[in-house]
Amino acid sequence: MTILSVKGLSVSYQDKVETRSLLEDATFDLGQSEILGLVGESGSGKSLLCRAIIGLLPSTKLSVTSGDVVLEGRSILGLEEKAMMDVRGRRIGMIFQNPTSHLDPVMRIGDQICEGLFRHGSYSKQDARVQAIELLTQVGFPDPARAFRSYAHEFSGGMRQRAMIAIALSCEPEILIADEPTTALDVTVQAQILELLLELRKKRGLSIILITHDLGVVAQTCDRIAVMREGRIVEIEEKRKLLSAPQHSYTKTLIASHPSFDDHLASRALDDDIVVEEPHIKPIFEVDDLVVEFNAGKSWFRSKAAFRALAGVSCQIFPGDTIGIVGESGSGKSTLARAMIGLTPITSGDIAYDGAVLTLKRDQALRKLRREVAMVFQDPFNALNPRMTVEAMLREVLETQGEIARNAIDSRIDELLELVGLDVSFRPRKPKSLSGGQCQRVGIARALAVNPKVIIADECVAALDVTIQAQIISLFKELREKMALTIIFIAHDLAIVRELCESVIVMHHGRIVEAGRTEDVFDNPEQDYTANLLAAIPNIDPDKPIGTRTVARAIQGN
Amino acid sequence: MLGRYRFVLFRPFQLLPVMFGISVVTFILVRLIPGDPARVLLGARSTPTALAKIRAQYGLDEPMITQYFYFLKNLVHGEMGRSTLYKIDVLKLIATRIEPTLMLVFFAVLLSLVIAVPLAALSARKQGQWPDHFARIAVTAGLGFPQFWLGVMLIILFAVSLNWLPVSGYGKSFEDKALHLVLPCLTIALSLSSVITRSLRAAMISGLNSDIATAARARGVSENTVFWRHVVPNALVPTINLLAVNIGWLIGGTVVVESVFALPGMGQLLVRGIFSRDYMVVQGVAMVFAVATLLINFLADILTVALDPRVKF
Repeated sequence: MTILSVKGLSVSYQDKVETRSLLEDATFDLGQSEILGLVGESGSGKSLLCRAIIGLLPSTKLSVTSGDVVLEGRSILGLEEKAMMDVRGRRIGMIFQNPTSHLDPVMRIGDQICEGLFRHGSYSKQDARVQAIELLTQVGFPDPARAFRSYAHEFSGGMRQRAMIAIALSCEPEILIADEPTTALDVTVQAQILELLLELRKKRGLSIILITHDLGVVAQTCDRIAVMREGRIVEIEEKRKLLSAPQHSYTKTLIASHPSFDDHLASRALDDDIVVEEPHIKPIFEVDDLVVEFNAGKSWFRSKAAFRALAGVSCQIFPGDTIGIVGESGSGKSTLARAMIGLTPITSGDIAYDGAVLTLKRDQALRKLRREVAMVFQDPFNALNPRMTVEAMLREVLETQGEIARNAIDSRIDELLELVGLDVSFRPRKPKSLSGGQCQRVGIARALAVNPKVIIADECVAALDVTIQAQIISLFKELREKMALTIIFIAHDLAIVRELCESVIVMHHGRIVEAGRTEDVFDNPEQDYTANLLAAIPNIDPDKPIGTRTVARAIQGN
Repeated sequence: MLGRYRFVLFRPFQLLPVMFGISVVTFILVRLIPGDPARVLLGARSTPTALAKIRAQYGLDEPMITQYFYFLKNLVHGEMGRSTLYKIDVLKLIATRIEPTLMLVFFAVLLSLVIAVPLAALSARKQGQWPDHFARIAVTAGLGFPQFWLGVMLIILFAVSLNWLPVSGYGKSFEDKALHLVLPCLTIALSLSSVITRSLRAAMISGLNSDIATAARARGVSENTVFWRHVVPNALVPTINLLAVNIGWLIGGTVVVESVFALPGMGQLLVRGIFSRDYMVVQGVAMVFAVATLLINFLADILTVALDPRVKF
């Protein structure tokens, strides 16, 4: 039974200068207790489509130009504001990507739930409280009464998303629009939230529109998948059909770019004999029993216990290695990388770079290290100076380094751009006229400018769309072959690490829980933690269940 | 047990060194004013013996460091030294002058808020429409007029031409005092409310465009409720700190307003003290102003903690 149908919906942007079409002729039906996945890159119009459905376009310069939205036989597009307010929340609820910014920081979670209850139901103050606590229990708060009087900042990202779901449920919606609900979360937490959505569908008969850029997320949760690109729905189909026999070329690219697991096993096996372990080589990085503690805040009258970001980490990284450091957020992977290049003060332990001990001859070791080690950052936009052209940024590094003659700098810039697959015509452009992927390529070019021996990439593809991710990963592979780089690749996305890295370090709570060759660790994880992490990865195979309940519980218990 | 309010117990101890610093600075600065209190006091009648007698009487012939220790010793005993002009202890003198100033500051701030909050709300919710344009012009005007000029204009309009309110001075009975305070308060409020309106409007507009507001609207919450329940509480937090800083300024600013309206408050006392080189009065009033500013900021911190559960000190 169809509950919601969107018919030929078009949205365009209009200002004094131009009229641009942002959403064209979107048509789909949503069935009773169906989960429809809406997949596409950023800017493809997924969020806009959903905002248009509930009549909350993000700007007054946007308007619906044609089409209709029909909710149970009644058009809701032309409804006046007052009637629309009864549709929003009560009929169609919404949860968002970033629970931190969407929850009111100065209002108790319980009060935010009660707001929905009072708005759309008739509750006494007492009943509302009971109902709110019941909702908090349903979405998995271990201590719902406490959660009721807590504020958003007291919870982790995953729990905040649960709170937001509880708030949306308070209005008892029939349809839930989930706009990238798990993008900001760790894989294990993502699995828990997706499971929760599935459970709610089962219990309440909720229909869900799940927006995501991760094909893996929809493959395992949705019934049907709609693929969006440049404001159009290019393909909409039952998920198995879509995944096994994609019609549209873009869908094919999307599926091919997904760093899915199983099909890489075969190709890995072939590579195996090429990569020979050479234990007699001197390690380029040696970390010995490294401890990093942060002071959680000191004042005259009290000193808080220090937070242990790293609790005795030891590892060796050999030249030419591509090593992945994985773990949930807060596991200490970034701290390890930052400590390795001397950006974070060390509490105890040793770090040696190419034989030079960082703790002993700090200045000398750092000078060498900073010449030979380059870093690529997570957010490509913010890591580039918005006022500088691509050329100026590369020139700055080359001039500071001073190893290349001034007149040779020009040709070196061209060389670098070519190396990262950018055309020479990009030289005069500034970051704001570059896409995310292009920005990251510039970031990598800048890192390569120093002719590094080691590149440390900190979540450098996390902010990018999957197709772009795939491009950047293959760029890394290419660079590795060409330049014999050592790459330290920090990521929370294990699928990507598997794709790129030869060996992997798994971190949890500031310790290395497992390390070894990527295949060994991923195929036969020795630790439960690693196994859980692996099980939680969204897989493009629709028949594989998302991280099992036991997994979720085990992680939560930690 | 006090949780995030623990700092209330410890903050006063942290303020002690700050107050010590203030006492040193005011003590030294006052003595940098050229002129001799004894000569000012005696005027034309001064003879070398009379001058020496006065200097000895007020300890002005001692070295600076000794004078400072007398000052500290007096402070510990709850005294601030004898005024050379009024011949009584400065603290007692201040006590007789503090009421008009307190009233002036309190009601000026209250009036500013009464003007600023609705004006900012109107302006933010009708952004780009004529109420907003009106409010922004008013704010710019309020920021532009200097207080000494605005005060005089208000006197001319309301006291001289319309004869509704007294020209200057301070009354005896409560009603009389209230009437005398209207124009001075208005003078301060017109400029103070402009500062607050501007910051509050900006915070409200960003609140209306925030994810918090979007999420609330997506739950079917009405625009009015979104505004008053979600936008305003979040916008108040930054405004409180701005207000605290401005009240600090305002306390110093009472000097100008009290002079214009001839209010017998501490600002006026300070001006007299400076002209007659009454060191004790000047450093006393300066100390009280400084302590008041510290207290206001302390209160603002407590209020911030109460309004924003994320804040810790």
